[in-house]
Amino acid sequence: MTFYVVRRVGVGIFLLFLMSAMFFALTRVTPGQPFSVGENPRVHQDQVNRRLHRLGLTDENGTPYPIPQQYVLYLGALVHGDLGDSYVYNISVTTLLKQRLPNTALLLGTALVVALLIGIPLGIYASTHQYSKLDMTTSIVSYVGVSIPSFVLGIYLLLVFAVFLKQSPLHWGFPLFGMHTGGVDDPLDLLYHMVLPVTSLTILEIAIFSRFMRASMLEVLHQDYIRTARAKGLAVDKVNYKHALRNAILPIITLVAIAIPQIVNGAIITEGIFSWPGTGQLAFQAVLDRDYPVILGVVMLVAALTVIFNLLADVTYAVADPRIRY
Amino acid sequence: MAQVPPMPIGPSAGVPGSLPDQLSMETTIDQERALPQPGVKPDELRGAPELGFWRLAVMRFLHHRVATGALLILGLIVLAAIVIPVVTGDLYKIQDYRHPFKPPFTSFQHILGTNDLGQDELARLARGARVSIMVGTLAVFGYLIIGGGLGALAGYYGGWLDNALMRFTDIIISLPFLLVVIAVTAATGGVRLSTVIIVIAATGWYEIGRLMRAQFLVLREQEFVQAAKALGASNTRIIFRHILPNALAPIIVSATLGVSGIILLEAALGFLGYSIPPPEPSWGNMLSDFEQNLLLNQTYLVIFPATALVITALCINLIGDGIRDALDPRQR
Repeated sequence: MTFYVVRRVGVGIFLLFLMSAMFFALTRVTPGQPFSVGENPRVHQDQVNRRLHRLGLTDENGTPYPIPQQYVLYLGALVHGDLGDSYVYNISVTTLLKQRLPNTALLLGTALVVALLIGIPLGIYASTHQYSKLDMTTSIVSYVGVSIPSFVLGIYLLLVFAVFLKQSPLHWGFPLFGMHTGGVDDPLDLLYHMVLPVTSLTILEIAIFSRFMRASMLEVLHQDYIRTARAKGLAVDKVNYKHALRNAILPIITLVAIAIPQIVNGAIITEGIFSWPGTGQLAFQAVLDRDYPVILGVVMLVAALTVIFNLLADVTYAVADPRIRY
Repeated sequence: MAQVPPMPIGPSAGVPGSLPDQLSMETTIDQERALPQPGVKPDELRGAPELGFWRLAVMRFLHHRVATGALLILGLIVLAAIVIPVVTGDLYKIQDYRHPFKPPFTSFQHILGTNDLGQDELARLARGARVSIMVGTLAVFGYLIIGGGLGALAGYYGGWLDNALMRFTDIIISLPFLLVVIAVTAATGGVRLSTVIIVIAATGWYEIGRLMRAQFLVLREQEFVQAAKALGASNTRIIFRHILPNALAPIIVSATLGVSGIILLEAALGFLGYSIPPPEPSWGNMLSDFEQNLLLNQTYLVIFPATALVITALCINLIGDGIRDALDPRQR
């Protein structure tokens, strides 16, 4: 077990290393420098050189470092928790991420909890009432839900609940834009701004969770020990919720852990659409601005989350299910 | 010997003197029909259709009402993507400054209205469909060539080759696709559709690769493959003549479902401004102004491309499921 964890962490770090190297190389062979776009003739070249040096791109005299050396400098700073400076915001990427992470955590945490609270009971109901009306509806809706990309879903939600609803006789609708600055102080206003982005993120997750829960529960319900329990004369509910559910819910642990980095990744576009001031919107804007240090910072964050949560999933799974041994 | 006895299928039913391995399936069946059958006159059998695996699959697919409907709708979209750009010509990029934001269904000149630059929305939608379909089909060919090739090699030869290829697949899976496209676009100095197609093909093939590997792993142990090997067939012949045709069914389903995934990916990239550059329209980049269009209440400019995208993706998914049911009738 210990060996397994150590090996997985090693592989994860190797993967992070590989990804950062690839991404770094690809962005650095780009022609032009960060400040060559908005070049101002009145700014002295020394000042530009100083800033380029501060970004780790050139030495003191303005001669650019070769790319491998830039990468080594980047890695050296990374060990100290420094992800470099943003080209656009002129502050360090770490500071930016620290500012934005709580907002993202709030949005994604809520979305995940809501998706679990709706998706799992829905899946359980669908499996115990197979081919019932609700089961069929869930199947069809989740089928359509999977065919809609998250950005289109977000746009549709804005269209219906922000534009059409406001034009309707109600004259009321959800806001087009994300939370106000300091929105956490006003919970009601925060909630009002969170409804649409959370809905947009949850619909896909509910589709995935309920489908998975249904399949997992059905598999368990068809096993011999369930039939034995029923044959002994136990009540249906007791068999379903006590014997079957405990085993069926185990694989959900893995699913949730895999879903978390996926949600973080998917949130890039969702946060951009709803102007939610989180890391996703930061990445979205950085993509539009070609602000590579920020993009690279978010990539490293998502990749690290992926590695950590996948590992966590396997370990908790092994703890929860004694049949699993590594 | 007065009469050759009727045999179900087999070389002995053929003309005496011809070599067994020169007989194709067709001639065997024809010759078999020519033989007197108990209780059936030869002429009656002539009209009966020959039902091979693929013909049966097509029939089963056409009995699937939802899938056939989806195929019909997709056919109309493809037809529109071919015909409308030819008819409308340069209308998609001609900027008609006298008629910006013309609402849809109000004039014959611009049936679906115009956008902020006065460009015809219908022509842009049709051209966007062309981009989507082109990217979808080309990238899926990439999936089939890369994924199919590597999967077949890994599954057939096994051993260290299999191990190395599977580790390689693990790395590909963990790549954040969106950001790879951005990095490659940055490195190659400019937004290009070919970049998008190549990156999608290079990062998305793993599902077909794994499927192909699994198929080859199972099939290479089957008796008919062992028999072919024992008869001295070369590896290439076994792979292409014996295993590949039998491995094809799940690959076709996966490739069909892959097309819709690719179309959605391309749209997401277009939305972020990383697909085909303007003035060329794609459904994704037609949506990138959604904020302005919603604020100015030009909702049709948002609804048309978004709905076109969802309908196309849904149709392709339904067709894929129809093909799955048609190819594997046991799985219901």
